[in-house]
Amino acid sequence: MNIHEFLSAEADCDREGLVDLRSLDCVSHYDSHLMCPICHCAFVQPVRLQCDHVFCGKCLRSAITSFRSTDSDVFPCPSCRTPTYEVLTSVPRLLINMCDDIRVRCPFIPEGCQETLPRGHVQSHVDKYCAYRPVPCPDTSCDQMIRQKDLYPDQKCTHGLQQCPRCEEDVMEQDYEEHDKELCPSLETTCVDCGTTIVRREMKKHVEACPEVVSPCAASKYGCPVKIRRAEIGGHEQLCPLIAMSPYFEAQNTRLDLLELTVRHLQQRNEIFEDGLANIRSTLVDSAPAGMSGASGGNDHQTDNMDESVDRSSSVFSSNATTYLLSLHESLREEVDQLSHAITDLDARASMTILNESLRIKEDMAHTNAAVNSVRMQVQWLMNPRLHHGPRAGVRANTVGGNDTNRSPLAASSAPGPSSTAGPSMGPLRPRRPSDSGREGTKL
Amino acid sequence: MFATKRLSKELLKLKEHVPPGISVAKSDNLEEWQMDIKVLDDNPLYQNQTYRLKFTFGRKYPIEPPEVQFITVAAPSTSTSPSEPNTDTDTERNNTPHSIPMHPHIYSNGIICLDLLSSAGWSPVQTVESVCMSIQSMLTANTKNERPPGDAEFVNYNRRRIRDIPFVYEDDNV
Repeated sequence: MNIHEFLSAEADCDREGLVDLRSLDCVSHYDSHLMCPICHCAFVQPVRLQCDHVFCGKCLRSAITSFRSTDSDVFPCPSCRTPTYEVLTSVPRLLINMCDDIRVRCPFIPEGCQETLPRGHVQSHVDKYCAYRPVPCPDTSCDQMIRQKDLYPDQKCTHGLQQCPRCEEDVMEQDYEEHDKELCPSLETTCVDCGTTIVRREMKKHVEACPEVVSPCAASKYGCPVKIRRAEIGGHEQLCPLIAMSPYFEAQNTRLDLLELTVRHLQQRNEIFEDGLANIRSTLVDSAPAGMSGASGGNDHQTDNMDESVDRSSSVFSSNATTYLLSLHESLREEVDQLSHAITDLDARASMTILNESLRIKEDMAHTNAAVNSVRMQVQWLMNPRLHHGPRAGVRANTVGGNDTNRSPLAASSAPGPSSTAGPSMGPLRPRRPSDSGREGTKL
Repeated sequence: MFATKRLSKELLKLKEHVPPGISVAKSDNLEEWQMDIKVLDDNPLYQNQTYRLKFTFGRKYPIEPPEVQFITVAAPSTSTSPSEPNTDTDTERNNTPHSIPMHPHIYSNGIICLDLLSSAGWSPVQTVESVCMSIQSMLTANTKNERPPGDAEFVNYNRRRIRDIPFVYEDDNV
């Protein structure tokens, strides 16, 4: 049978009225190999897989439906994970017989059936023979259930009320027999301890007062082991040292209770404080590295100090609840102080560095300014002749870039000599030289 | 129904016999159990330590995996004040703080990255006992004294249920 067939065969095994064999109460001990590894009950309608593992049909079905990937033809064996395509309904007869042979109690044991029988026979017992099986009352107007054995021979409703002549209690007809013989409070019974005969309803009162009943000493909860007849307990209680102590014990007990209560309160408060501390610490730890990364590493030893102090204070914690709380508070405050110090320190450092940086930059800027000024002066000085001699600007344009202000006067004076072509372009060089006598040259 | 039945059977079996190093610490209801595990060989990382596991079972257990994580202390309901002399060894044992074992697949909040506990790796044949033994052997085999990468971030920001965390099971060595 493949998986799909196996899963669709589910319908007929969940028939109404079938005894749930798994919920039966086993009387005999059975071998653990007869136990389904899924439900841990003896196999019910066992099936076998290719890997020879056996499961209840119903258990395997629920396992397949939850472990198979949707609609695939294969699933892993729950025991060994072998990929399985087929479910074999043929299980060795021996196995089924052994499971059916396990002795169980009738499922109607609450109704009074005391039968124990092989599991294989339970279904037929319940269906046909069990006299205690509840069936609907033959009277159609009555919606109660009736035991099968009470149904015959007269097929009448037994749910009408009947009054007991002795105790005047209303009892249902089906329960009347039992009530009459055993339960009626007006029946007489004998006390098992003193042997006097009393009516049932007085029994409870009698047991509390019966002089023959063995009862424990009143101080038994403080450890007195004595258990004697009630008639003699008075004598014992006068001598029992624990009874003499009992008021003291009581007082101690109430004190302990009180203390316990306060301690619990304190514990709760403590927890709240601890939570708060943890919160604060985590926020501080989060923010501290971010603030410190910008500045120099000088703050590292400060955080170390802080950790140390936290450690120190935490060792103090364990001494005692109240001082613990106080020290917790103290250490919290200390920590906050330290942190604020650290922050101010950081702040100072940061502003110092900023100040230093800006000073240097200012200096630099002054230098640059000066340089720019001198350049401007030179440019101006250069530009002056050009402004004065507008028409010659075009010729000069290509030579301006190549000119060097530091040219020696000697080189400059010899310049026009070697090349006649350079003459007109070199001519304007001369006036730029500060050492040169200057402008007359340009007038050439 | 299915879950409670199966769990009560498992509990009965655990009461009869538990594997060495594993014990039931709390099983008073069938929705949450606590188990103590010890690493038995002389792995220096876990020597003389008892770790507490919390199992939370859904209604569909064992078809669905339980949520399993390490915890540091028992539920606050069992806490008693230190001033009271406590003779009950069981409650005392429940109150001693436990640590979360160091392991490259165990986050410091106790969440365990183990494919066996995921919906994909789970199999209904697993039991509380077998899960405990798997975790025990996972600790035994470990030699690294470290947490998973990104532990702090995960511990701070994970608010999802354990089942919904998209773990990646890339490490086949452990």
